Amino acid sequence: MIDASVEPLGIALAELAATLRESVVEVRTRGAGAGSGIIWSASGLIVTNAHVARTEHATVVLCDGRAFDGVVTAHDSRRDLATIAIDPGAATLRAATIGHPTDLRAGDVVVALGHPWGVTGAIALGIVHVVDTRRGAPRWIRADIRLAPGNSGGPLADARGRVVGVNTLIAGGLGVAVPTTTVSRFLDDVEARRAGSGSRAA
Amino acid sequence: MAGPSTTMPQTSGVLETLSDDLAGAVDRAGQSVVAIHARRRIPASGIHWRPGIIVAAHHTIQRDEDITISLADGTTVAATLVGRDPTTDLAVLKVDEAKVPVASLADGTGIRVGALVLALGRPGNAVTATLGVISTVGGEWRTWHGGTIDRFVRLDVSIYDGFSGGPLVDAAGRVLGINTSGLSRGAALAIPVSTVNRVVDQLVKTGRVSRGYLGLGMQAVRLPAALVERLSLPNDVGLMVVSAEPGGPGDTAGILIGDVLIAIADKPVGDPAEVLSLLGGDQIGKALTTRIIRAGEPQSVSITIGERPRESRGARRGR
Repeated sequence: MIDASVEPLGIALAELAATLRESVVEVRTRGAGAGSGIIWSASGLIVTNAHVARTEHATVVLCDGRAFDGVVTAHDSRRDLATIAIDPGAATLRAATIGHPTDLRAGDVVVALGHPWGVTGAIALGIVHVVDTRRGAPRWIRADIRLAPGNSGGPLADARGRVVGVNTLIAGGLGVAVPTTTVSRFLDDVEARRAGSGSRAA
Repeated sequence: MAGPSTTMPQTSGVLETLSDDLAGAVDRAGQSVVAIHARRRIPASGIHWRPGIIVAAHHTIQRDEDITISLADGTTVAATLVGRDPTTDLAVLKVDEAKVPVASLADGTGIRVGALVLALGRPGNAVTATLGVISTVGGEWRTWHGGTIDRFVRLDVSIYDGFSGGPLVDAAGRVLGINTSGLSRGAALAIPVSTVNRVVDQLVKTGRVSRGYLGLGMQAVRLPAALVERLSLPNDVGLMVVSAEPGGPGDTAGILIGDVLIAIADKPVGDPAEVLSLLGGDQIGKALTTRIIRAGEPQSVSITIGERPRESRGARRGR
């Protein structure tokens, strides 16, 4: 069953990587090294880790090499999440498809896309290692997947290429990602704060 | 701000099928994976092997009493240690009631190089899964501690907490063996089902795995060519006795330090492992004729094989 599907598996993985890569950016800041980011909306909203976007400005590089000046518009070090706004101008951005982290089961295939050790657009394959059985939304997704510095801020996606987490750290060899449900809450909080303070749109 | 797009990436369903298969295998096999509370910090993994019988990795069971087991259904039950076999790093525990399924055991045909496998564990409430492949398959081998394992199965998998004592399962969720990092310098190995069954049978029957014993420490030595020629020896290596347990079988039979063993029961020996392989539990009490060279002359000595004393429980580290 598995043996017969090895070649189609490779093709499917390559297709998935090619699609996902269009929604992944490299985030460069002065002083810090390069990390990864996820195109959250075609209008130019990038989601990454707070520890990747430590400065006010960042350079955002698309998979085709085009670079944009970005402004770090929100920063939450507790959740280790940040947003960067870029003005895509005439460029068409491809927003990532967001999945459902709460549907993940131990053993589910996951892929990570990012720039480990500065290697651009690298893919890693793994599985969900453990799903916490305690009630409530899990704080982390733990995956048996080989990540490296530079994967931070990049997507962890399910077998359909839907982003389920933001790769954030490596703990005991496991890849640990912030679930996209947490990202949505973070973005809601940012929106609410912005509406409350009546600040102008970035 | 605009929400995320809802267009689906263009991928065929192969990865989804694989994902479903693997998650299904973890779910099915995970029902019989248990957490054993018999050490500090993190619980050890074990597997419901037969009704009421739990198998675990010996080196992770750090106490013999006051052991409890958490099952997949969330219940916790008391367990008693049936026995341990440090030579194969296996331990067997018994529980009165386990309302979780027993493992579905595969025949050995699934053990082949390149086979996609999952290593499962339960170092807490939830089952854990690690993906890898079988990287090496070899024949019967002997562990450092003298245990016999039917096949050498080395895995390319990451070792996380709860690895040892958890099952190696195929993509259908059938158990191929029990994983351990305690047999070969932390390398990820699996003990095949047939070996586990043999050890479980013996431990359930007698509480231990008995092994024959000479009470001699030996080291391989090369024999002078002239001596080999003069005595027409089958090979040019022998085993020099470097220590003899006082009152042990070899000492009692009159073996002296400095004697060189060349054959046991007509089988030439040139490696201590060959001696171990001749000392199965079925040899205990039998008198075996041993050929030795003493002071340059061949002699025959009859040694009555004893039983190896129970090994102290080594607190080896491993996950």
